[in-house]
Amino acid sequence: MRLKLQVDPRKCIGCRACTVACKMEHQFPPYPTSPPQAEPKGPSFIRVFEGGPFIVDGKVGQSFRVVVCRQCTHPLCKEACPLGAIFQTQEGVLEVDRDICTGCGLCKEACPIGAPEFLPDGTVAMCDLCLHRVRDGKEPICVAVCPSRCLQVLEIPWVG
Amino acid sequence: MVNGKASHIEGEKDSLTFGTMCPKGIASILETVNPNRLTKPLKRVGERGSGKWVEIPWQEALDLIADKIREAQRRYGPSSVLVGQGTGRGYNRYTLRFARSIGTPNVLFPAHFCFAPRMAAFGLTVGGRLFCDYHGWGGVHPKTIVHWGKQLEYSNADGEMGVWFLRALEKAQNFILVDPRATALAHRATLWVPIRPGTDAALALGVLRVIIEEKLYDREFVEKWTYGFEALAERVRQYDLKWVSHITWVPEEKIKAMARAIACEGPACIQIGQALEASNNSIQTLRAIICILAITGNIERPGSMVQWVPSPAGPMEDFALEVPAPEELPIGANEHKLLAMPPFAMCHWDSVCKDLLYGEKKVKVMHLVGTNPVLAYANAKEVFQALSEVEFISVVDLYMGPSARFADLVLPAAHWLETDDIYDMHPRFFVSAIVKAVEPPGEAWPDNRIFLELGKRLAPIYWPFEDVEEMLDYQLRKAGIRWEEFKEVGVLATTGEVHYNKHERGYWRKGGGFPTPTGKVELYSTTLEKLGYDPLPHYKEPNESPLDGSLSGVYPLILTTGGRVPYYFHSQYRENPWLRELQPYPVVQIHPETASKYGIKEGDWVWIETPRGRIKQKAKLFSGMDPRIVVVQSSWYYPEDPSVQSLFISNANVLTSNDPPL
Repeated sequence: MRLKLQVDPRKCIGCRACTVACKMEHQFPPYPTSPPQAEPKGPSFIRVFEGGPFIVDGKVGQSFRVVVCRQCTHPLCKEACPLGAIFQTQEGVLEVDRDICTGCGLCKEACPIGAPEFLPDGTVAMCDLCLHRVRDGKEPICVAVCPSRCLQVLEIPWVG
Repeated sequence: MVNGKASHIEGEKDSLTFGTMCPKGIASILETVNPNRLTKPLKRVGERGSGKWVEIPWQEALDLIADKIREAQRRYGPSSVLVGQGTGRGYNRYTLRFARSIGTPNVLFPAHFCFAPRMAAFGLTVGGRLFCDYHGWGGVHPKTIVHWGKQLEYSNADGEMGVWFLRALEKAQNFILVDPRATALAHRATLWVPIRPGTDAALALGVLRVIIEEKLYDREFVEKWTYGFEALAERVRQYDLKWVSHITWVPEEKIKAMARAIACEGPACIQIGQALEASNNSIQTLRAIICILAITGNIERPGSMVQWVPSPAGPMEDFALEVPAPEELPIGANEHKLLAMPPFAMCHWDSVCKDLLYGEKKVKVMHLVGTNPVLAYANAKEVFQALSEVEFISVVDLYMGPSARFADLVLPAAHWLETDDIYDMHPRFFVSAIVKAVEPPGEAWPDNRIFLELGKRLAPIYWPFEDVEEMLDYQLRKAGIRWEEFKEVGVLATTGEVHYNKHERGYWRKGGGFPTPTGKVELYSTTLEKLGYDPLPHYKEPNESPLDGSLSGVYPLILTTGGRVPYYFHSQYRENPWLRELQPYPVVQIHPETASKYGIKEGDWVWIETPRGRIKQKAKLFSGMDPRIVVVQSSWYYPEDPSVQSLFISNANVLTSNDPPL
C-alpha cells in the first residue's frame, strides 16, 4: 500500500489554513522584515485558488481549487527530471533528492497542476505528506488544522 | 521552541475545537519575532505623527498617564477621560473594570455596533444572549441552519466557532444563506437568499408574515411562553409579501421557502451576523429575527438557540461588573437609551466624535488599547480630526499602528503567546487558560498587567492585587481553583443537557419562565415601550437609500463594507508576511456587468466614491451577487507606508457616514 493526500474541494471554504500550516511546519519564508514588505512571497506545498462563482441547476456557488501533489500513479515529474532526482519513499511518497536537484523546474512544467515548489535554496520539492509526522503516528499538518475536514490521508494499492 | 523563539504551533486534538486552526492562529508565531514589534514605552517629542519618540521607563510612562487622567478629572470631571479598546479581546473585562474604577462612564467599545445590539435585542426579548446549538448535547443537531449576514466560517466567532458550525453543517438538512453575495458556502446552501443590503428587517417581517398567516407557528410555545403574539400578528399584517419582495429584491417563493423551513423543519437556529448591526434600525431588525425563533419554538430546545450555563468559574465579566458603574451617563446615552442600560453601558462613538468637532469637547484624555478608530469607525476623516482635538492620548499596541503613530504616549503590549490570562470573551459555556509560551520582546507587558499597574495608581481600592497571578486567582475563586492549577487543566467547561429548557426547569424563575419583566419571551417589548421606543419590530429604509432618486442619480450603486477574508482580522495582520502574501492588497468585488459599464477589468485599481470621499481597491469581478452591489473590504491601511495618506487611501470608512439617523 502507498499513501496519498485526498482532497474534497467541495468542502473547502478557502481559509488557507493548510497553506499557512505547511509554511509553518517547514519554516518557509517569507519572514517578517522591517519595514514590512507589501508583496511578500514564499513556497507552500498546498495552495488554494478561487474559482467561480458557477451556477449549476440554478444554484450559485463559489468554488475553491486545492493544488497539492497528487502522488500520481505515473508521476510525470519523475519522468521529466533530466537528472533522475525524483524518487519514491517506501510509503510511495514522491521526494526530490536535493543534493542532485539543480532547480531547472522541468518537473514543475511537466506536472499537470504545477505542484512542485521552488524552495529558498533554489531547489525544488513537493508535498512530502509530512512523513516526519506520519511516521510518528500523527496526521500531516494540513489535515490536522483544516476546519472543514477537506483533507485526509488515503492508503491505496501500489500499481505497476 | 528554537532558541527561545516559537517555531511550531499546533491545535490540541482532544480539545473543544478538535485541533483545527485558522491561518491567523498559525501565522501568529511570526508575531513573536516580528522586528516591528514595540519593545519600550515611548513618549512623543516631535509633533503628533512626526514619528519622533524618546524611550522612557515603564514607571515614568504609567505615572505620566495616571497624572494626565487625575489632572483631567480634577479640572473637568471624571467623565472627561475616555477609556477605549477595539474589537472584543481577552482583556475586555479589564478595560471595563478600569473605566468604572476611575469613575468614568465613557468607556468605548465598538460593541455598540458590533455584538452589543445582539446582546441588547436578545436581552430585551429573551432575557439573555442565545447561541446556536451546534453541539448536539441534547441528542439532536440543528435540522435547519440559517446564516443571516454572517460568514461564520471566516469571521466573528461571537461565542460560536466556525468548526462547530461546519461539523453541524454536515448533519443539517437545510442550510439557508441570507447574504447579498454567494459566499464560500453558497454551493452547499439549500437556499441562497440574495438580499438587498440593509433591508433585513423587511425580510424578517415577511418571514413572520408567512409563518403567522400559514399558521406554522408552535402554538404551545407561543401560548405558554410568549407575550404579545396578537400585537405582533397585527403589526406583521402591515407588511405584505409583494412589498417585502420589492424592497428586499428577494422573490416571494424564497421568502416562503425560508419561513416554512424554519417553522416546519426544526430544530432551527439562526446565526446572526454583525452586518445587521452596522445598518440603521439594527435593534428592530434583530428583534424581528428573534421573534421568528420565538414563535417557532426554537428557543432552549436541543438543536435550536440556547442560553449557555456558564462554566464553574462563573461569567468572567463579573470581574468588571462588581465595580459599581458611575451615575453619570456615557456620551450619547441620553439619546441612544439602550447604551445607558446596565450592565454594559458604554459611550456612543459618533456622539463623542461630533462633540469633539462641533460641541463642548467633553473628552480631554483618551487611553486606547488595541484600537484604530480611524479605520474602525464611520467617516474616517472626521474621526481623525476628532482625535486631534483630544489633549492627551495614550495608546497600547503591538506595533506602531495608525493610532500609536498619532498618540502622545505609546505602551508596548505583549502578544497572547506571551501572556498568562483567563480567556472568556463572551458568555459562553467555557473558560480557557491562555498560557505564556514565549517571552515578550524587549519590555512589552501583557494587557492585564498594564491595567493592574494603572489601576493601582488611580483606584487602588479596586486593584488590591499584588500581581497578575493574584488577580487571576481572584477571578477563578468561584471554581475553587487557582491559576497554577488552572493553567495545567486548561479548560473549565459546562457541557451536556444542563443547558436545555431552563425556562421549564425553574432555572431563572421559580415555577418556570424567562428572565424578562413578564417572565415570557417578549415579542412585544415592555422595556422598549417604557423607554419610548417602538415595542414591536418595524422596517426602516437604509440611510442614503437607492429609493432616494436625488442621491441614486449621482451614486447609482449600493455599497457594503462587509467584505471579509479569513487571513485578516479588522486592521490586524497586514504586517504578517505569511498572511499578507495571501492577498497583499484590498479587493473590491464588482459584478462583471457593472465592471464593463465602467470599463473596469479584473485586477484594475479602481476608485470607489460616496458623498464623503473616495478610496481605491483592486477590482475582482464577481457575478455571484446583484449588479447594483459593490463589496468593499474594511480596515485597510499599509504598514509599510508611514505617511498619513496610507491611513485613508483604501480605508472603507472614508466612504461611510456618521450622520443620524443611526
